[in-house]
Amino acid sequence: MNFPRLASLLRNLLHKQGEERELDEEVRAHEQLLVDENIQAGMNPQEARRQARLELGGVEQVKEQVREIRAGHLLETLFQDVRYAARTMRRSPAFTITAVLTLALGIGANTAVFSVVNTVLLRPLPYPDSDRLVQLWSTNPNTDHWGMWTAYPRFEDWRRQNTVFEEMATTRSWVINIKGSDHPESLLGVITSSQLLELLRVRPILGRGFLPEEDQPGHWHVILLSYGLWQRRFGSDPAVIGRTVNVGQENYTVIGVMPADFRFPPDIRASYRVDAWLPPAPDPSRDERVSNNYYTFARLKPGVTLGQAQAEMDAISHGLAEKYDADRGLGVKVVSWQRQVGSEVRPALLILLGAISLVLLIACANVANLLLVRGAVRQREVALRQALGAGHGRLIRQFMTESMLLAVCGGVAGLLLAYEGLHLFIRLAPDIPRLNETTMDPRVLIFSAALTLAAGLIFGVAPALQGLGSDSQGSLKESCNRLTSGATRARARNVLVVAEMALALMLLAGAGLLVRSFVRVQQVDPGFNAKNVLTAFVMLPPSKYPEPRRQAQFFYEVMERIASLPGVECVGAADSAPMLTNDTGPVSIEGHPVVRDEEKIETERPKITPDYFRAMGIPLLRGRTFTWADNESSLPVAIINEAAARQYWPREDAMGKRVELEDGSAPVWRQIVGIVGDVREDGLLKAGRPEVYAPLLQAPVPYMALIVRTRTQPAALTAAVRQAVMAVDKDQPLFQVETMQQVVNDSVAGRRFQMALLAVFAALALGLAAIGIYGLMSYTVNQRTHEIGIRMALGAKREDVLHLVVRHGMMLAIAGVVVGTVGALLLTRFLSGMLYGVGVNDPTTLLSVATLLIGVAALASYIPARRATRVDPMVALRYE
Amino acid sequence: MQCDQTNLLQGTLDMMILKALAPGDLHGLGVSRRIEQITKGTFQVKPGSLFPALHRMEEQGWLVASWGESENKRRARYYKLTSVGRRQLEAETSRGGRIVLAITRTLEAS
Repeated sequence: MNFPRLASLLRNLLHKQGEERELDEEVRAHEQLLVDENIQAGMNPQEARRQARLELGGVEQVKEQVREIRAGHLLETLFQDVRYAARTMRRSPAFTITAVLTLALGIGANTAVFSVVNTVLLRPLPYPDSDRLVQLWSTNPNTDHWGMWTAYPRFEDWRRQNTVFEEMATTRSWVINIKGSDHPESLLGVITSSQLLELLRVRPILGRGFLPEEDQPGHWHVILLSYGLWQRRFGSDPAVIGRTVNVGQENYTVIGVMPADFRFPPDIRASYRVDAWLPPAPDPSRDERVSNNYYTFARLKPGVTLGQAQAEMDAISHGLAEKYDADRGLGVKVVSWQRQVGSEVRPALLILLGAISLVLLIACANVANLLLVRGAVRQREVALRQALGAGHGRLIRQFMTESMLLAVCGGVAGLLLAYEGLHLFIRLAPDIPRLNETTMDPRVLIFSAALTLAAGLIFGVAPALQGLGSDSQGSLKESCNRLTSGATRARARNVLVVAEMALALMLLAGAGLLVRSFVRVQQVDPGFNAKNVLTAFVMLPPSKYPEPRRQAQFFYEVMERIASLPGVECVGAADSAPMLTNDTGPVSIEGHPVVRDEEKIETERPKITPDYFRAMGIPLLRGRTFTWADNESSLPVAIINEAAARQYWPREDAMGKRVELEDGSAPVWRQIVGIVGDVREDGLLKAGRPEVYAPLLQAPVPYMALIVRTRTQPAALTAAVRQAVMAVDKDQPLFQVETMQQVVNDSVAGRRFQMALLAVFAALALGLAAIGIYGLMSYTVNQRTHEIGIRMALGAKREDVLHLVVRHGMMLAIAGVVVGTVGALLLTRFLSGMLYGVGVNDPTTLLSVATLLIGVAALASYIPARRATRVDPMVALRYE
Repeated sequence: MQCDQTNLLQGTLDMMILKALAPGDLHGLGVSRRIEQITKGTFQVKPGSLFPALHRMEEQGWLVASWGESENKRRARYYKLTSVGRRQLEAETSRGGRIVLAITRTLEAS
């Protein structure tokens, strides 16, 4: 734009009135000149004026044409349209509030769900250059298992042999007991090889990270503190570096403090807090190739692709498999860490996002319908504007401005709603990795802005096109012709309502399937009785309890003390208990030599105290349970569950047969003395695995879950149980104290949350669709008052009128149900991974949600129909 | 032939207005009549096309407008070419000449 044009822009905008006056004068002067000309040509004054007007073609039209070419015209009309739109909105507050609230709900809910998706699935991990970070899993191609952890010695081979990674680190979470002047404390620590911080590109805020040799034997007595632990236990003292702390009876030197926002692992459950990072101490869990309990991470060298890394790692594990027995049959899989973190919740989150976008579509349809109804009322206004020289483009622009203004109001209100809703979401949601990092960052704002514009376009198009369809002459003359309303317009409104019904049905079907699945899940018998059970963990430090006998002795005494507490019915302990911990490994069956590679028997091998089955409520089916008399000097015994009996002795009686737990020590053949029921170790949905139980006194362990069955509220006994343990050894803290019911509930928390959320979305959809059909029927009844009056005057009864209106509503509902059912049949298969005990096309669910929808639609059309029957024919006919 | 922007290139209308104003200042009707006169009645410029064009050219700095008095003592808005407008006229004239030459050749060729 050149300078004169810019100057005119300013003049047009700032001195608008002056410009307008001049324009008016100019055009009128022109008219006058024409008149003069005509008079000179010999016309009489009247004819001269008429001819002048004809030639001019209308003062207002000419002025409008001049305005359209002026600089800043677009800007000016935009202001004008916005002002006009705002005025229209203020004039009909009921319409405006309904539309804005509907949109706010839709946009707000979408924004909230997207904020979570953004954080959990899209936002890079909180480390620099995180796109090069990968995770390495051991795989077992024979069993098609992948996602196995790996053993430390194998990790060391990987690290030594590879050329594709800049750094590699392997870690495991571990509970550590920190002893202090006042009280012992159990912390969650992460045991890690030395390169972790270099790999993550994170530096301590105080002190230093690990040196390369510090994961080697002899150098591992160093520890990094979390910012929280440093504040809590060391009073933020900068002189903490170099101090000694006692962890599990060993002295460690503090070498550094991590930044407050440092999180590792990044996907740890939101409720957990890691307080220390330390190198692995040499012990069997670190040094044996069969102890697969480390997670491995690596950073790709710049320019190396996942595929190249995978190829090299394949070659390396091939070499290892030839060298070591334990590596035979194992592979390795390199996966992007970013993708891995959200992989479990990805399907659920995407389904929620899809569902909520359907709700927004329904909201748009509703608003479009409202606008169409209002557009019909405004037909005369549009015609008038057209007659005064407004072109099509100008009218479309005005309608779109009105729609956009509505959308923007809805969007802003939606953002506020999302901000509040997000807090609620985070509070109610189960542990989703990284959920507590959720914020409404710029990406979320861009998303909701785009959503707002898209919504405005979607619901604005129909009314804008409708505005044009009408020809001005007809509309102006039509005045108040109420007998018929434009057929196209009516069709558009019906289509919108049918679409709403169909979308609502799809959501209802999805929610219905999840609800039914959840009911099925709740009915699953876990194989134990979770009611009135308190659980807690105790871990004995190997340095204080080096001898297995002393470990067993400790737990024996703890059992005795807890059993004598008032309110305790019985107490047991196990190192592997359902939904709490597990210890799987191979077992050998006497007389059944197994080929290791193909049939490595993965069995649950709990070591338990005698009362464990009673405390857990696991039924003894045959034989006997253990007693304290099953000790190191008596016959080695074992108890198995039904799954083990079925799998290992399919055609024989398992009682009296012998098994051996391959747990690294000298082989001990145990005689089976009992068979118990199966339990669901991995949550309610997975059938029980084979289990071989051994008595604690014959196979002592330093780490056990206490299972306390109480007569009253289990949580009330927490303090008493803690004291009983500390009475045996004052340095032993309890950790992860929970009721068994909580544990079971937590295992289905994700499912419950997802079901509840989808149910809420579906209810929202149903409500919006009901409002939609109600609004349309009310409008139709209003429009047809005249017609209904005539019908009644001609003898139609109240029922006939009722029938007439309700039938219209039912036709729309049924059409919606038909379309929606097709949609549901296509869409519910995305839910298949989340269903339990119901098929994706479960007819019962579809039938019941269809009935519900039709019922609601019937009610929503019945109310306006009732109003129609009260039409007084005389009044209706006189109305015009 | 009726003259409006849909069936006449905008440049042509601009050139005719500039040409009409070259000898001296005119008001809107004067411009319109002058164009009729130059083209021997072939082009009749209606106010609906004339005024938007005049105002656009004014905003572009080719014309300046001022209020004056007409022959029969009516107040009217007079337009006058600026130096930018004159340069524009020269450019348009040579371009127009080339176009006319091209069209003439095309017609003669067939």
